[in-house]
Amino acid sequence: MSKQVTLTIDGKQITVPDGTLVADAAKLAGIDIPVFCHHPKLEPVGMCRMCLVEIGRPMFDRATGQIVMENGQPKIQFMPKLETACTNPVSEGMVVLTQTAKAKEGQKGTVEFLLTSHPLDCPICDKGGECPLQNLTMEHGPGKSRFIYDEKLHLDKQVPLGELIWLDRERCIQCARCIRFQDEIAGEAVLGFDERGRNTQIVSLSDPGFDSVFSGNTTDICPVGALTTADFRFGARPWELKAQASICTQCPVGCNTTLNTRREAKAGGDIVIKRVMPRQNEEVNEIWLCDKGRFAHHYVGSKKRLARPQIRKDEKLARASWDAATKLAAENFSASKKDFVILASGRLANEDLFNLKSLADHAGGRAILYSDMGGGDLTALVGVGAGTNLGKLGEGDAILVVASDLYEEAPIWYLRVKQAADRGAALIVANPRETKLDKFAKFSIRYSYGDEVKAVNDFGKKSKISDEFAKAKNAIVFFGSEGLGLNGTSAVASACADLLKETGHIGRASNGLIGVWQRANDQGAWEVGLQPEEDLAKALKGKAVYIVGTDPVGDDPKLAKALEGAEFVAVQDILETATTEIADVVLPAQAFSEREGTFTSGERRVQRFYAAVPPTGDSKPDFVITSMIAKQMNIVLEGTSVSVVFDILANSIEAFTDLSYAKLAEVRPQWPIVGRGDVYYGGTTYENKHGLGVQLVPAAQVGGTVRIPKVKKEAVLRPKEKELLAVPVNKLYDRGVTVSPAELLDERVGEATVSLHPEAAERLGVEAGARVKISFDGVSGEAVVKIDDTISAGVALVPRSMGIAIKEPVAAKVK
Amino acid sequence: MSVLEPVVELVRGLGQTFRYLFDRPVTYQYPEQKREVRPRFRGRHVLKRYDNGLEKCIGCSLCAAACPADAIFVEASENTDEKRFSPGERYASTYEINMLRCIYCGFCEDACPTEAIVLGDNYELSFTDRRSAIYPKEMLLEPVPTVDMTTPRKVETGVYKRSVPEMKDPTD
Amino acid sequence: MKGKSFLWQNKRLMAHILFRHRDIPDINKLDVYKKNGGFAALKNAVTKMKPAEVTDVVKNSGLRGRGGAGFPTGMKWSFMDSKSWPHYVLANADESEPGTFKDREIMENNPFQFLEGVALASYAVGANLAYVYLRGEFWQVAAFLDEKLAEMEDAGYLGENLFGTDYSLKIHTHLGAGAYICGEETALMESLEGKRGQPRVRPPFPPSVGLYGKPTVINNVETLTNVPLILANGADWYKSMGTADSAGVKIFSLSGRVRKPGNYELPFGTTFRQLIYENGGGVQDGRPVKAIMPAGASSSLIVVDDKTLDTPMDYAFVRTLGADLGSASVIVIDDTVSIDWVINKTIHFFKHESCGKCTPCREGNYWMRHLTERIHSGNGYSTDVDLLLNVAKQMQGKCLCALGEFSTMAVVTGIERFPQDFKKAVKA
Repeated sequence: MSKQVTLTIDGKQITVPDGTLVADAAKLAGIDIPVFCHHPKLEPVGMCRMCLVEIGRPMFDRATGQIVMENGQPKIQFMPKLETACTNPVSEGMVVLTQTAKAKEGQKGTVEFLLTSHPLDCPICDKGGECPLQNLTMEHGPGKSRFIYDEKLHLDKQVPLGELIWLDRERCIQCARCIRFQDEIAGEAVLGFDERGRNTQIVSLSDPGFDSVFSGNTTDICPVGALTTADFRFGARPWELKAQASICTQCPVGCNTTLNTRREAKAGGDIVIKRVMPRQNEEVNEIWLCDKGRFAHHYVGSKKRLARPQIRKDEKLARASWDAATKLAAENFSASKKDFVILASGRLANEDLFNLKSLADHAGGRAILYSDMGGGDLTALVGVGAGTNLGKLGEGDAILVVASDLYEEAPIWYLRVKQAADRGAALIVANPRETKLDKFAKFSIRYSYGDEVKAVNDFGKKSKISDEFAKAKNAIVFFGSEGLGLNGTSAVASACADLLKETGHIGRASNGLIGVWQRANDQGAWEVGLQPEEDLAKALKGKAVYIVGTDPVGDDPKLAKALEGAEFVAVQDILETATTEIADVVLPAQAFSEREGTFTSGERRVQRFYAAVPPTGDSKPDFVITSMIAKQMNIVLEGTSVSVVFDILANSIEAFTDLSYAKLAEVRPQWPIVGRGDVYYGGTTYENKHGLGVQLVPAAQVGGTVRIPKVKKEAVLRPKEKELLAVPVNKLYDRGVTVSPAELLDERVGEATVSLHPEAAERLGVEAGARVKISFDGVSGEAVVKIDDTISAGVALVPRSMGIAIKEPVAAKVK
Repeated sequence: MSVLEPVVELVRGLGQTFRYLFDRPVTYQYPEQKREVRPRFRGRHVLKRYDNGLEKCIGCSLCAAACPADAIFVEASENTDEKRFSPGERYASTYEINMLRCIYCGFCEDACPTEAIVLGDNYELSFTDRRSAIYPKEMLLEPVPTVDMTTPRKVETGVYKRSVPEMKDPTD
Repeated sequence: MKGKSFLWQNKRLMAHILFRHRDIPDINKLDVYKKNGGFAALKNAVTKMKPAEVTDVVKNSGLRGRGGAGFPTGMKWSFMDSKSWPHYVLANADESEPGTFKDREIMENNPFQFLEGVALASYAVGANLAYVYLRGEFWQVAAFLDEKLAEMEDAGYLGENLFGTDYSLKIHTHLGAGAYICGEETALMESLEGKRGQPRVRPPFPPSVGLYGKPTVINNVETLTNVPLILANGADWYKSMGTADSAGVKIFSLSGRVRKPGNYELPFGTTFRQLIYENGGGVQDGRPVKAIMPAGASSSLIVVDDKTLDTPMDYAFVRTLGADLGSASVIVIDDTVSIDWVINKTIHFFKHESCGKCTPCREGNYWMRHLTERIHSGNGYSTDVDLLLNVAKQMQGKCLCALGEFSTMAVVTGIERFPQDFKKAVKA
């Protein structure tokens, strides 16, 4: 525990850690000092001069070094000038006065100065209603302007910084919060100031504009309506919005979100999600959210949503009743006996997956996880211990990232790992090519695609890097699926688990293995017992298949072929997909925003989400549909209360023992204090009132010996001449069904690409931007060439989920 | 008590009645004859236009926020120079008032920053069902002065650059 | 040369200390400078003195910073944080205060004495790297200094193992990009680091956290140019000049409505009258002096009467007149000039040069500019004058750096001390 300091603010005594800034100490004492440029997550700059207060310190006798006493109290010496509360750290015996006439006069003066150039846009400004400047003007500002309206400086009003963020230069008060967020938190200095004095303006320094996946956060912390999102522009007034707690479903980080909803005429009178806002959880996403999580929500309200059950009649899908649809499915599943296969994805909630697994078990079928990433058994075994918080890692700790581009796969983890590195944690990035995280890494390890396991094993041998890792107080390993398929990831996970075990970094908080999964709840699927299958096409062929929450037909022509030969196909999904088109029965499911449930994040944190909007059509939650089918098969599964399903799950799966919905909804006080009335302090992030979630205890933490199963890695593929080794990489904005309905992201999604080394490109006679045909193993597709000189000449990087079905490294022809 | 007393009383009463025969009647022959409303009368709402025909409403929803009866529903959209409704950045793409809910308090008028919504003189509101009590924007909007001033209309680029049209302090 | 060359008569300096080129032609040539005692102090210090001893000599000499604040130079050097390394020395040659043009003359004509001063300061604080930060417009001066630095390096006064000791020193020049604010020490450092030239929050002060986060001494060109002769002649010699409060000599940049504007090197304690009438040849057309700005655009306006003219110029005495001596760029204003014109000029300058970092300065100067313009153009009312004064006072004590504070000086003192000028300027 660091040194504690006691000070008095407005007569209130408070003890805070040494080094705390006066503005933050006041916040802890429940006193709001007005701020604009200060943000508890950013370094102090003292620019806006809003937080002017009177600060006094005990007077010291120069000769003796003793505190001068007066009437039995230390004599306090006040500075002649007002001081900024945001730049002055606390000191013992300090006296801060925030309400004196002098301080008030200073604060009023600053507001008046800010308003001289600020336009009167409040009635139409997106920030109006949750605007720090509005609030502080009401509280501290002068009632009337002494500045002549005609003399206001006019600047550009509608400037797109990028396609996602709009800037209104007139509204900007030059607090630099956005610039500082990009510099300090995101580590991408894509914004900057141009000009000086009153002409100071925010500009984007990148091409394309505002090239960061964290851009939306700047609109949260902007203390005026200068930065607004293209998504929410004129969407609604903030006070008209309802808020409901939720969990982001786009990646395994499990960011806590708040869905803002409103009934809308444009949407035909439906209640729709107007925007997704971060909800504070200092152990998961702090107060941030990536742009995918913020802007990709449109699939929920998509026109392609399935609204009614359908049955195939005369080669065509026709509307049917729930009874008929589930009955048909049940009959076929029962008839198929052992040939009953469930294919489910990590897009589903824990309860859905648990019911599916139970159905498969009772009916004698198989439940397969639709994923090309293995190692979930190992994360359950040697995953990060309960109590892990990436935000606490720092000096003396180590983080190893293997075969993963966190920036693209799990942006908030990138952000948190980057900040841990800033705090002094040794970051080691092992990846065949340079990723954005390399810039912050203490060590970068390069290996060839295919040599992942060797790279991890070599790491275990003696070297400066491995020493640092072994000696670290805490160590966490992230493993991903860059350049790897199912077998490859399983092998890498096993090697990483070995490494952690050997160095003693298991079974404790802030130590262990984290899988950078492709879907939000892949970890949860592993927990309830679903596992992926190496040869999926074979496993599906000729079977009665129950496909839930995934689109194998659209993803992979091989699977499409396998499903053509399936006995019976029931598809349960939220959206129309290529797979629903070939289905015998289509069962409409509810999206995460329409129901309750839980997800298990990559850090194995179980978190609740809540219903925010009414269900689409007749759709039902997945676990209900499964129980309806089960009922027709004479299997009893809970199908009314989601919390009861969770209770049953908790009773039958060891890691979940003692968990309940009530427990998951518990909250603790968090720092910084955000999301209350004072939007000026922490931004518009929501306060967490709906649960911080509970981290599962990995087997290694429970005790007993830990045995790590060996995985045999398939031989490294060496392509023939005139062939390239096509390897899958992960892209944040892909063509997944939960992304593509968000038109705003189209530009960032772009076209399918293939990255080649300049040499390889030269050999093929193509230049950047050229269109090539890439074909392998019965799959072919067109892609645009990108040149990347950080990769080796023999490989071609093909992003997953961009139209070319690549699951693992393959030898490919590029023309 | 005199016998005549009832007669006297009767005559007095009838006299009163008789006198009123020559007074100006207070009743109006509504609907043929309509009484002029007071200057501050609060009747059916009107959405005003500027002299050039552009709508005053900027879709800020402050009227809806001020409405104690929750009778107003506003939804905004963005103006473009191709399709311009109002001089500012945004306009009301949906504007509805539920006249059954409205209590004619005039708070909306007070809240309006552009003096777009005004409670007019019309008090003759009748509906045959609840649905028709909801007045959409088309009904509320003032008619355009001349045909070429309809909204939306195409305007020259760069003329309307402000977020909110410049306003004077309310005069009354 | 000791003792003999510095003759005093009637408080007039017979030989220059800083402007030695005025006495010795071609002192900007290395051999001439050497012949006149150049680099002896440096050699003596590096080979025979401990760094702390050098600092002590400067401390005892009473030398105060010539950039404007007048902070004791030796004290500043002794504040260097000895736990954090490396140390840096910066010479502030940003000279951008309107009315100040002294550093340029030193650098162009007496460069070696200045550079020797930089080297001595570096040795005193243990810095192996020093920078001369020049304003962007001084690109010719920078090129000239680069030549001189190369000559010094060739002659063994810079580089590795100076005079056979293990002390090494490199001096680089760096050009700014034309911003007044970069004369502010922390903004200068930001600019030197390649960032936007905007001031930092102080504390921490440069001697503990300065350039690249390391302890840094930053001194004005004129201050550093004093150092070689202080080391050569001793602290007592230096203290014998000037006044009790402000030791030594000062270059006064005289401008405004005088007959002979220019730089005048005079001891502290010279009166305004001596400067303006004896050196500057009096006011043009023989008109009376109405006001004086003793520190360029950022100074307060002094009401001039006989008492004022006979006030000796040093940091303490000028303060009794309600102004600061600052960089001693004395601007003389006669009775043909209206003060509303003066403040309109200064505010125009500050509005243009405000960096935009802190609110009061950015918005306040923009606002004041509108008001002074209105008043000066004759479209103002007396309420505008009141408002201007109010706005200026509202800025005072709230800005991040001195630029904002100083921008209000002329306005506040102008309105308060010359109300009649404003009464005339505005409409009834």
